[in-house]
Amino acid sequence: MIPFAKLTIAFAAMALVTMPVQAQQQASPVSLSGDVKAVKVITEADGSERIDLVEPGTIIPGDRLIFGTDYANTGGEAVTNFNVTNPLPAAVRLAPDADPALTVSVDGGKTWGRLADLSVTAADGSGRAATHEDVTHVRWMLASIAPGEKGRLTYPAIIR
Amino acid sequence: MNTQTLLHRAIAASVTVTAGLALLAPTVALAAGVSAGTLIENTAVASYDDGAGPRTINSNTVTVRVDELLDVTLTSLDPGPVPTRPGEAVLSFELTNQGNGPEAFRLFANPSVAGNDFDVTVTAIAIDSNGNGVYDAGVDEILAEPQTTAELAPDAVVTLFVLVAVPDGVSDTQTSNVELAAEAVTGNGAPGTVFAAAGVDGGDAIVGTTEARAIARGSLVVGITSVGLTKAVSLRDPFGGDSAVPGTIATFTITATVSGSGSVTDLVVTDAIPEGTTYTEGTLALDGAPLTDAADADAGVASNADGIRVEFGPVPGGTVHTITFDVAID
Repeated sequence: MIPFAKLTIAFAAMALVTMPVQAQQQASPVSLSGDVKAVKVITEADGSERIDLVEPGTIIPGDRLIFGTDYANTGGEAVTNFNVTNPLPAAVRLAPDADPALTVSVDGGKTWGRLADLSVTAADGSGRAATHEDVTHVRWMLASIAPGEKGRLTYPAIIR
Repeated sequence: MNTQTLLHRAIAASVTVTAGLALLAPTVALAAGVSAGTLIENTAVASYDDGAGPRTINSNTVTVRVDELLDVTLTSLDPGPVPTRPGEAVLSFELTNQGNGPEAFRLFANPSVAGNDFDVTVTAIAIDSNGNGVYDAGVDEILAEPQTTAELAPDAVVTLFVLVAVPDGVSDTQTSNVELAAEAVTGNGAPGTVFAAAGVDGGDAIVGTTEARAIARGSLVVGITSVGLTKAVSLRDPFGGDSAVPGTIATFTITATVSGSGSVTDLVVTDAIPEGTTYTEGTLALDGAPLTDAADADAGVASNADGIRVEFGPVPGGTVHTITFDVAID
């Protein structure tokens, strides 16, 4: 009897958590789908190098990953002020060749701008220009997406 | 204080807390990068306005696990060849786990290195258990066969001692090298070699630029130092000749020759006054410079009853000292 009772409670708890989320997702006209690829440099027989995006197999510090998010407006109406915010996992840093026009934050999402315009304050109060290693979030801002419109947002990262 | 101010204060406080949390985030600063087994989880959040007001949705979370990098370095800690003589000698090495996961390393000591003047016998490999950098018999753990370190954390550094026996019959200035090799227990080989599912939490292990193996060389140099003493006497009789008659002054010259590549410590030369003679006070001299007979700051002491005694302290090889003193034949 005791295990059965526990099982019932567990199911009830799951239902409570899952239900509202599903309700919200069903109603959303916008879908977001994330993925990650590893960047692999393949040396051809003739010595030239080719870059492949592959499913991450064995990955170690220093390896390069591309995080992607596919979005689509599946509803019948345009949506406006479409902002996609992506906190960087702590174990990666933004790759140095990321788009310089990308909107980023170096303070946990408090302030935003192009990396070149941002600075960080050290513990002793001195300031310095922000670097790719300081980036905590990236953000894309689209004024609107039309019904049926879809697209893909990516950022390159390197495992710390 | 009005409500507006209170609200501002509340916002400021919450922002501070957020920033604090961000700083605590585990941005691991290991030499080898983030630890093996770390999960990299990425989720995007979208906000938009669909006409009915602002809304927020999350993407699915994609997760990848950081695999284990196998890397090791090994260096000799001895500043130069370790001076030695037949018997026990100790060579010191430092091993660093340059990988990003916990890893043990198998150790191999090879005393037969090409070019050796002689080969030592490896008696044991020990870990510097008390971390003082010096081998302490009975304190530092002797590794059992097969000699393997404990599992070392990423970036961990251990000092290893290779204990060797130098054979009898070696001669001064002969040298011998001993090689210590370390290999990651998970595996080693060409950089990029993958050991599937052999890493942390069932992830892969992959060999890094060090090939997950390392070799370091320690060397020994034999320093055998010997002391040779020669004693000579010259006689001067009261008549200007060199016969041994009562009243003849005998001058003894003791030559101490220290030879070899090492040095001797606490060299002391003593000599008794021969029977039938009497020490001539104030005649003790070292390398031509007089020494007082009394026990004082200088190196020498002399008396008729106790003879002469000269204390040199440490003396390097290749040094010659001369002691002279006079006696009168009774």
